[in-house]
Amino acid sequence: MIEMIDPRLTRLDLQTGEVPAKTKLDQLPTYEAFVQAKEPRPFKHEGGIHATSINMALIFAKEQYTRRGSCSGIWIISTKDIIVTDITDNSLDIYDRFDEIQDCDGDEYTIFHMTKRGSQHSFAGTVKASSPENALSCAKGNIERKKPVLNIWLVKTANIHKTTEEDKVLWTTTPEKLFREAIDYKTSDKLKQFKEAQRK
Amino acid sequence: MNVQAIKDLLFKIADDQLILGHRSSEWIGLGPLLEEDIAFASKAQDKVGQSLAFYRLLETLGEPEPDITAFSRKSVEFHNSTFVELPNGEFDFSIIRLFLFDTAEHIRFEALAQSSYQPLNNLANKLKGESIYHIMHANEWIKQLGNADDTVERMQRELDYALPYALGVFEPSKFEEELISDNIFSGEKALQVLWQEKIGSILKDTQLVLPSFDGLVPEYGGRYGKHTEHLQPLLSEMGEVIQSDPNADW
Amino acid sequence: MYGGGYLFEKTNTSELENEDQELLAIFEARIARGEKIEPNDWMPALYRKQLIRMIEQHAHSEIIGALPEGSWITRAPGFKRKLGLMAKVQDEVGHGQLLYSAAETLGKTREAMIDDLLSGRSKYSNIFNYPVYTWADSCFISWLVDAGAIVNQVANSKGSYGPYCRALERICIEESFHLKFGHHAVTYLATGTSEQQKMMQEALNRWWPPMLQFFGPPDKESVHTEILMRWKVKMLSNDDTRQQWLDMYVPKIWELGLTIPDEKLKKNEDTGKWEYTEPDWEEFIRVINGNGPCNEERLNVRKTAEKRGKWVRKAILGTAEYKEYVAPLA
Repeated sequence: MIEMIDPRLTRLDLQTGEVPAKTKLDQLPTYEAFVQAKEPRPFKHEGGIHATSINMALIFAKEQYTRRGSCSGIWIISTKDIIVTDITDNSLDIYDRFDEIQDCDGDEYTIFHMTKRGSQHSFAGTVKASSPENALSCAKGNIERKKPVLNIWLVKTANIHKTTEEDKVLWTTTPEKLFREAIDYKTSDKLKQFKEAQRK
Repeated sequence: MNVQAIKDLLFKIADDQLILGHRSSEWIGLGPLLEEDIAFASKAQDKVGQSLAFYRLLETLGEPEPDITAFSRKSVEFHNSTFVELPNGEFDFSIIRLFLFDTAEHIRFEALAQSSYQPLNNLANKLKGESIYHIMHANEWIKQLGNADDTVERMQRELDYALPYALGVFEPSKFEEELISDNIFSGEKALQVLWQEKIGSILKDTQLVLPSFDGLVPEYGGRYGKHTEHLQPLLSEMGEVIQSDPNADW
Repeated sequence: MYGGGYLFEKTNTSELENEDQELLAIFEARIARGEKIEPNDWMPALYRKQLIRMIEQHAHSEIIGALPEGSWITRAPGFKRKLGLMAKVQDEVGHGQLLYSAAETLGKTREAMIDDLLSGRSKYSNIFNYPVYTWADSCFISWLVDAGAIVNQVANSKGSYGPYCRALERICIEESFHLKFGHHAVTYLATGTSEQQKMMQEALNRWWPPMLQFFGPPDKESVHTEILMRWKVKMLSNDDTRQQWLDMYVPKIWELGLTIPDEKLKKNEDTGKWEYTEPDWEEFIRVINGNGPCNEERLNVRKTAEKRGKWVRKAILGTAEYKEYVAPLA
């Protein structure tokens, strides 16, 4: 091995040797992040976050999933609070498996649909129901769908941590951070200059 | 409008943000948790970006362009508080420092958002959202680490070490009176009072103890070029490539 | 960024004999139709195992890959480079997070994957085992190593596993910034002062051989990959990705007045393929197995980060909302 040339590392006391293997208790809880790019588009699933509180999950999701582009809101849900149905084959609607109920009451549930394999789940609507099963039946009767739904995620709305109107200030300067964008790195002028100098 | 007074104000903010942003960037890729690494890296970029915005304001007041101002001065010419130049240490010191500094940063930007000096007013208003995120992040970490039985001792130790340096952030300027009377800025004293209240309110929800400020001796000097032995090596490293040929286009 | 698809281990297809053949046929038909497999679908154990290995090693490459360029953040010349490089390295860590999440949907915890990285059971892209001596070396990586990764990532984003494809799509979008940033930085050096040009040329000379190896050994020497390609786990052969990269970037390198340290390098106008001096594949194997200039340092950095971070994770886990592990959904 060669000598270290990274100045950050030469300041650290680099440890050699074994690191004790992880135990089951080293795993952090998991949260799912949903982002609304711009009102009034639906909230769309972006991915998972490991954190130890819902606040921390929000703080992390904000940078992992919304450090570029526009954002008007984030929803964080503890993964274990999300109920997942089976997944069907393309062109088969999972709602075919449930009976329809029109008259619904109880806790509010938030419903997310996946309409294409490979795409993210996105917000479809809310229903009131006395149980998750009833929520699916209520959703069949009350939430409009234009395409077959392959897979549904549902969660009690009370379990969703949502950013507020005031939180929108968090994204004020995001569009100005052009140093994160390809557009800030144009080379055509430099290249042109170089080629002209070479011709001389 | 006293240009010297305004430059004094702008320089100390720009230098604080640059040095702390640089220190924070040393953590990128080496953090305790992947997601935290990403959040920390954004805070570092925000601070360096903010310093750039303040150097650009200085340029409109006759200072050289930002790359020159930031990358070629020697430590005696820097106006950052000594707090921000201290080495990162472990995550405990780094997060305590961010908590103390970011709380001050937020209060400072809120004050400057009322400034009679319009360019500064505009800039501070724009940056408020970033500083809100910064304190959200720091407060959550302090809450969690400050309530975990095993870590309270080390967090307390770092807090006690950091506080005199943190007070150095509020070192009075030579132009305090004018800045206040011209409504450019509410002044360091006013900031410090709000800051003490704010950090107290966060810390009271943890097991950490905020000592009495009466017993603390602030580490002043940074605002007027008196720095620790840590600053010059930082600056030399920061300028290593650009100084190898300051006239080249990098 | 990653030299994707090279698993460094054999694929034992006899394991398939124990699978339910009917379910296996449905599974393979779905892939042949171009539909994605999602986490709750049935899949053969071999698919699950190979995908975990592949995605995990891609994630490790991102995390380890953050170190060589990361070492130049504190020395980046000027605000534009400083901010750009911070953003780029942050993205690499972010990509690691996305990829670990995707692999987690297949049933392995992130911490178990990190264990495998630190113990050497799991590999990462070979190119990061080389030293980044100068600013120009860092710029080479930002441009050309990322360019290599993009060729793989674009191809694999059309693969069969939903979560991996979604992660790759996000990654590809961010990589376009990396590529431009890198090309911009290299351009300024190559068209700059004679010292800058010299620094860039020397970096290119150093990195050229490992760069050719980035795409993995020649197809004729690679471990059996037919099933991985049938299952759309690996979308392009090593030679195909290497050729694509040469075709796209050799002209751009020459355009900057830089020379490539291989006299044999030229495009055969009849076959349309690039000819080049075969890199030393024995060195590749030596380096992959731990004997490169920086292997030890890279892993020691990760081990140190783990050790330094352990008290933090332990502390916050103590006050965590709940303790059982839950895999991400998608």
